[in-house]
Amino acid sequence: MGLICLECEGLFSQWRPQARWLLSHGIDPSQVSWNGEREADLFAAPHGLPAEPGPFEARIPQALPPLLEAASQYLGDQRWSLLYEVLWRVSQGDRTAMLAGDAVGSELHRRIKQVSREAHHLHAFLRFVERPAEDEGPAYVAWHEPAHDILQRASEHFIGRMGRQRWLIATPRDGVFYDGSTLHYERPCPPKWRELAKGQGDDTHALWRAYYTHIFNPARVNPAIMQGHMPTRFWKLLPEGDLIPRLVVQARHGKQRDGQAQAVGERRGKTIAKGLEGAQDNKKGDPKSH
Amino acid sequence: MELIDKLSILADAAKYDASCASSGAPKRSSEGKGGLGSTNGMGICHSYTPDGRCVSLLKILLTNFCLYDCQYCVNRRSSNVPRARFNPEEVVRLTLDFYRRNYVSGLFLSSGIIRSADYTMEQLVAVARSLREDHEFRGYIHLKTIPDADPRLIEQAGQYADRLSVNVELPTGESLKVLAPEKQLITIHQAMDTIHQGQQAVAGEARAPKFTPAGQSTQMIIGADTTDDSTILRSAESLYGNFKLRRVYYSAFSPIPDSPNSVPLAPPPLLREHRLYQADFLLRGYGYQADELLKGPGNLALDIDPKLAWALEHRDLFPLDLNRAEPAMIARIPGIGIRTTKRIVELRRQRRIRYADLARLRCVLAKAKPFVVTADYHPPQGDSSSQALRMAMVECPQPQQLGLWG
Repeated sequence: MGLICLECEGLFSQWRPQARWLLSHGIDPSQVSWNGEREADLFAAPHGLPAEPGPFEARIPQALPPLLEAASQYLGDQRWSLLYEVLWRVSQGDRTAMLAGDAVGSELHRRIKQVSREAHHLHAFLRFVERPAEDEGPAYVAWHEPAHDILQRASEHFIGRMGRQRWLIATPRDGVFYDGSTLHYERPCPPKWRELAKGQGDDTHALWRAYYTHIFNPARVNPAIMQGHMPTRFWKLLPEGDLIPRLVVQARHGKQRDGQAQAVGERRGKTIAKGLEGAQDNKKGDPKSH
Repeated sequence: MELIDKLSILADAAKYDASCASSGAPKRSSEGKGGLGSTNGMGICHSYTPDGRCVSLLKILLTNFCLYDCQYCVNRRSSNVPRARFNPEEVVRLTLDFYRRNYVSGLFLSSGIIRSADYTMEQLVAVARSLREDHEFRGYIHLKTIPDADPRLIEQAGQYADRLSVNVELPTGESLKVLAPEKQLITIHQAMDTIHQGQQAVAGEARAPKFTPAGQSTQMIIGADTTDDSTILRSAESLYGNFKLRRVYYSAFSPIPDSPNSVPLAPPPLLREHRLYQADFLLRGYGYQADELLKGPGNLALDIDPKLAWALEHRDLFPLDLNRAEPAMIARIPGIGIRTTKRIVELRRQRRIRYADLARLRCVLAKAKPFVVTADYHPPQGDSSSQALRMAMVECPQPQQLGLWG
């Protein structure tokens, strides 16, 4: 019997019955490959096994399928075969395969962590733009570029957040549209959605950019920590992204001595007389210079 | 004044408050409802500024006009800063507009003291009430509490806000007298107690209206006076004990423009603030006592972290056999955290722990090595005094780039 090559079209829902079928025939992981994961696929021989399930009934702990499903959203080498390897070993009675201390288990958990981090990036760094709501279309649209296959699951977060608003998120791979009561998922992303999502910013962008500039404390500038939390690949999608290098340079060239933003230091100041409600214009009159 | 100018001034005035957390709120959702917003307890950092700080909330002052003259504060009445004032509707609109665009997860509103403590507190409550009642806003709200305000206003605030905070400002009552003459430790503690009582009143009552479900927090400024870390940590420990605070934030004093002579011109090393946060985390999450971390007066070591410092002082308890030790003790091994401890315990139910497992579990081996025993590993005896280990584990000092103006 040669290598068995399977195609699951990047879907856990297709991979799962395939994996169940393989297990039932007792086929070990070295004999299987998915979606052209290996060169050998090109020369693989037909396996000649029946389409019906085989005799082996695997017992799988309840906690395992959710772990596999989470890890399946990871985009990278051996995306599906690693999952089958874990499943295979656990079904043979070796539960360490699903624990982080095991060689394969640690890779499984690393993937789950990457996936949940990427879902969190969606929740954090996605930016909606408001558009005139004259039609049935979305009132809020966003373009996002996730590194893993997280959109469908992770975008449910915005249903709770946005209430009955209609919104749309498009990515290079797929897209979601919430019509106020139902979430519609499309893969690939329809070109019309992509076009909507890549529209211009709205009036509130300027307010946000002002806020971002002024909540930054230049006396504590530390771009390395920022980059650790907010990878640079997202900056081009953020309305505040292009401000970052400028603020760092400004802080390094003189604004590092105190926390005030330059623009505020240049305004006219006011001290307040003790016991009085109102403020008095600064008698010195001169705007402060930094 | 244009809205954008007010926002610029009042965000600039609010940046000295370290907290921007949106965590700890109960699960709320707007699915299928009018209004806006959700919380799930986790909190989200929507951006990071180049100082490495998380931007989770719209953090602004209602006004930076202030009758008080706290020496460390940029908004003190004698400070020559531009002043501005929002009306409550403007804050409500900004919060909702920012929230819908996913810029923030809610509002953190504070204020300078105008007219009176009560008047100021009423204004803060008015913003929170409007968000919750007029706009059915279910996102996160954090209100700074004015300590001298009427307890009834604080109780109202607690019904709308997820979190209330009263800043203790300085670690001792004496420092407060010198640097914040209008503030008193006793009224600060009374306000904290009012919040604590409000929480107690609804604790365990599932049907009672929520009261500050994300708890209360406070902030202490570090390095504006000469208080040492030992006093600071003991002060934090008693705040956690007396008022069940969720968090104490430590804010390294940040030099302000036109600094008065009563406060230093230079900031304390940011590393000191970092060590205090590490020690604080050990108090909250690991069950250490302040007494264990600093026996007498003095400061935490800057060159090694407080957990490693404790372990080096207690070599008699180590090395620990990871296949047998109590989980609480495993969590005290440098380089092994709570999460890793859980994973070690899970794994050892299946089989014996070996040294190679530790790397896969992402322990910091360089730190953990002298303190652990596994099925196939025992640290070498004799040649490793605590002093020698400490020298080997000192963190390389970060090279500091000097600003052009020093």
